[in-house]
Amino acid sequence: MWKGLSVITDSPSPIVVVLSGSMEPAFQRGDLLLLWNRNLFSETNVGEIVVYNVKGKDIPIVHRVVRKFGTGPDAKLLTKGDNNAADDTELYARGQDYLNRKDIVGSVVGYLPFVGYVTIMLSEHPWLKTVMLGLMGLVVVLQRE
Amino acid sequence: MYSSLVRLQNTFSFFTTVAFVVAAFIAASDLLAPRTPTVSLLKTTNLQVVRGRPHYYSSKKEEYAIIKFSLEADFSSLFTWNTKQLFVYVTAEWPSAGGTGSGRNATNQAVIWDTIITAPSADHLANIGPVAMKKLKRSAQGKSIDPSRGKLSLKNQRPKYQITHPSGKVAEQEDVVLRLHYNVQPWVGVLTWNQDEEFWKWKPLRGSLSKKFSLPALKKKDEGKKEGSRV
Amino acid sequence: MAEQLLDQIRDVFEGQIDFEGQKLAEFLVNVALMLVGAIAFFAGYLLQDIKLAVYLGLGGTVLVFVLVVPPWPFFNRNPVKWLPVRGGISAPANLVVDDKVLG
Repeated sequence: MWKGLSVITDSPSPIVVVLSGSMEPAFQRGDLLLLWNRNLFSETNVGEIVVYNVKGKDIPIVHRVVRKFGTGPDAKLLTKGDNNAADDTELYARGQDYLNRKDIVGSVVGYLPFVGYVTIMLSEHPWLKTVMLGLMGLVVVLQRE
Repeated sequence: MYSSLVRLQNTFSFFTTVAFVVAAFIAASDLLAPRTPTVSLLKTTNLQVVRGRPHYYSSKKEEYAIIKFSLEADFSSLFTWNTKQLFVYVTAEWPSAGGTGSGRNATNQAVIWDTIITAPSADHLANIGPVAMKKLKRSAQGKSIDPSRGKLSLKNQRPKYQITHPSGKVAEQEDVVLRLHYNVQPWVGVLTWNQDEEFWKWKPLRGSLSKKFSLPALKKKDEGKKEGSRV
Repeated sequence: MAEQLLDQIRDVFEGQIDFEGQKLAEFLVNVALMLVGAIAFFAGYLLQDIKLAVYLGLGGTVLVFVLVVPPWPFFNRNPVKWLPVRGGISAPANLVVDDKVLG
């Protein structure tokens, strides 16, 4: 299912969970985004919301393209979070002023709010896992075969 | 369904199914709402090119274009119950030397101004101060949607972003146009942008291009200062 | 003593209902939740109010949980009538079936 979706959308991770509030109020933490990484009708353009990776950092970032210079795979793209005052130049790798098309994992096409929040809660509050394990244990004790 | 635990699990799992189906219906209901966005005015009112630094601590100097503009548009039909926010933005587009003209794949495109118009259902998420928030919430009191927020009227608006080019040169650039775009962010479903083609009940956005103009020559530094002090 | 107490807690927790009750519960879950979903969607669409749809949907779902999860008496109106123990074959002493000691 995941593989198939990955092939169809041509994106290594076609569904991502929003981890930061930099695109608020459009996206909140925990929202689920469906990505599309093919340029069937037009190139990735200004105004699209893209997920990109920066060399040396493993957390992908979801921001909007605000500038584009040139066309094709060598086009220089600049991104910015709707909720941030400044553009993303500071977030890029050292000496990198622009993104290229290949840095982009996909453009956001679909949106489902809140569903990914469970994963955020579990990763940020490990004690919740203990609580859940405890609840499961209680259920086992209280259940008859 | 024998024990309470099984009933709890079954009810929850069917609840998630129903929730997904309802969400899909909400997303699909977007198609039933006609979209008739219009632009009645988009023109530049003042053009300037100045020299400046990309960062505070940068030694490099680049040319920056400051494009003031006026805008009249009506996006009220884009606000339905599934609209979370409308993102409206104005880009400046120009061809590079020897490149093709402006268009969907314009060679150089940069946002000079943007705004986020939240729907009343998303007002609590807006990133504004408490006073502005109170005012915003009061403006939509008792209303679940507020299409009147889609009416835009800007006169001699200062750009939010001063734009440059990787070459650092924008002065005397010819064939520049402004273009108005929008992006509808739904509560659930597909993100949509302004279209060039008609799509069933959704009309394309016509008149979103300004007339072609040329950027002026570089402004002398002392002149820029005088301009600044007058404002 | 502790075992007895645990048994009582287990009984409450388990919330058994009879076969007719199980059928009824299944039917209620399916119909009531679909109804809640439909009401939430149409009310939200007609009044163009997404918050209303969310509140109706969640509120209705909570009601369905309350209606279906606890072992209400109306789920236990058709208790299974076990056949009486025949004299010929005597069941071994202390045979436990469904938590009732037979024989």
